[in-house]
Amino acid sequence: MIHLFNISKHYENQTALRDVTFSVEKGEMVFITGPSGSGKTTLLRLIYLAERPDEGTISVAEWELGKMKESSIPLLRRNIGFIFQDFRLLNNKNVFENVALALRIRGVDEKELKIRVFDALKEVNLRHKSDSYPLALSGGEQQRVVIARAIVSDPTIVLADEPTGNVDSDTAAGIIRTFKEINARGSTILVATHNRDLFRGTGRRVLKLDTGNLVGQEAG
Amino acid sequence: MIPYSFRLAAQSILHEKWINFLSILTIAACLLITAFVAVFVYNVDALTKKLPEKFSMMLYLKDNLPGAGIENILNTLRGDDAVETVKYIPKDEALKELKAELKDATYVLEGLDENPLQNSIEIKLKRSVLGPEAVKKLSTKVKAIEGVAEVEYGEKFLSAIYSIKMGIRALGIIFIAIMSAGVIFVCYSTVKILFYRKNEEIETYKLIGATKGFIRAPFVIEGAAIGFCGGLLSLIGLLSLHYILFLELSLSIPLFKTIIFPSQISPLLPLTGLLLGMTGAVIAIGRIRY
Repeated sequence: MIHLFNISKHYENQTALRDVTFSVEKGEMVFITGPSGSGKTTLLRLIYLAERPDEGTISVAEWELGKMKESSIPLLRRNIGFIFQDFRLLNNKNVFENVALALRIRGVDEKELKIRVFDALKEVNLRHKSDSYPLALSGGEQQRVVIARAIVSDPTIVLADEPTGNVDSDTAAGIIRTFKEINARGSTILVATHNRDLFRGTGRRVLKLDTGNLVGQEAG
Repeated sequence: MIPYSFRLAAQSILHEKWINFLSILTIAACLLITAFVAVFVYNVDALTKKLPEKFSMMLYLKDNLPGAGIENILNTLRGDDAVETVKYIPKDEALKELKAELKDATYVLEGLDENPLQNSIEIKLKRSVLGPEAVKKLSTKVKAIEGVAEVEYGEKFLSAIYSIKMGIRALGIIFIAIMSAGVIFVCYSTVKILFYRKNEEIETYKLIGATKGFIRAPFVIEGAAIGFCGGLLSLIGLLSLHYILFLELSLSIPLFKTIIFPSQISPLLPLTGLLLGMTGAVIAIGRIRY
């Protein structure tokens, strides 16, 4: 489903990724771990084409990203559910509208949209907060709104960047439980985290990054 | 997608009401001035279109031309596409008219043994040939007809009127173009500001897979709405001024009665505002990159 081959990415005076190669198969749930600055976020950004690699090739589902035209990027991104580290919630829209946005860009009709948004909110246990605005929510609740927005469109791939960075351990456990449920329904999930507790005991594959190098993998 | 874009645009217009209100006022002022210029140019045009009714070309005939020769000339002229009417004026009739015009100064004609005037033909031209070049061409043509001694028409006057008309029309077009650019610039600036303000939001749209059309649509609709409202406001202003100037003031100043108000300008103002607003918005958004 996701294949990276000899990927390197350099910024002005530092190397973010060096010769990284790995694959994530369809239906897999994989963790990428490493300290801050190890290249986890850059790796995810390359997968959803927020940036392009300096060297190497990436393919996601049926797309070869290096050959992808700019006009096709929305199509790729509609197949991916993102959980951003900085949430990227729209503060002038309530929880319902934030989640609905992922369906509105796909042109889903209003009736179906309502059902799917409430289902997604129910899944993250936030249905009762649908009228609230992001700034009135706690960090954990905001995180769950982002998850609802990522899963509401039933994406084939879910990318999560530090999804538990702002939450307590109970909420983090809840988030991982949600990921497992989504994964069980067939979505491929790639989670970038520095929190080792998150994958310990899950039995899932863990890729280790250090200063831009893939230094190994283990079972969580 | 379309109704949602309209909703977003409406929300933005209400949320940023002051900046939008000021833009609408500026656009209305620009379009009102533009409409005034358009009405002025239209009136100058209308005035010059009435020229054929007053403009005539005089053909003086050679002396002792027989009746058949005169009839021949008249027939040739009647057959010309550029000629509207033809009127033969015998020299006796011309003298009678001259005397009537001179009134108390008929003494200037005393002592003349014979009529000094010539038989002549007055022709009026069709509107389509009233340009200086066309009239000159026609005068050369009729002068070449056998029996015609001289052709006279207000060449300089006609050229001057034509130049004034063309000059005013050109200035009007330039002025309207400048004002249109002004309206586009106002819409451009407004949408650009709103676009920058929503930069974060737009980035999120892009990241979750929104197409360029989805991102652009609310801004284009907003630009169009601002332009349309500006146009509507200018129309209200124009109709109010029309009412005051033409209907109220014309009672005391009759000059205002002669001004023609082209009614087709009414739907054009909001439509022009809408199109210019859309253009400004499209330019403001520019190229969206992922």
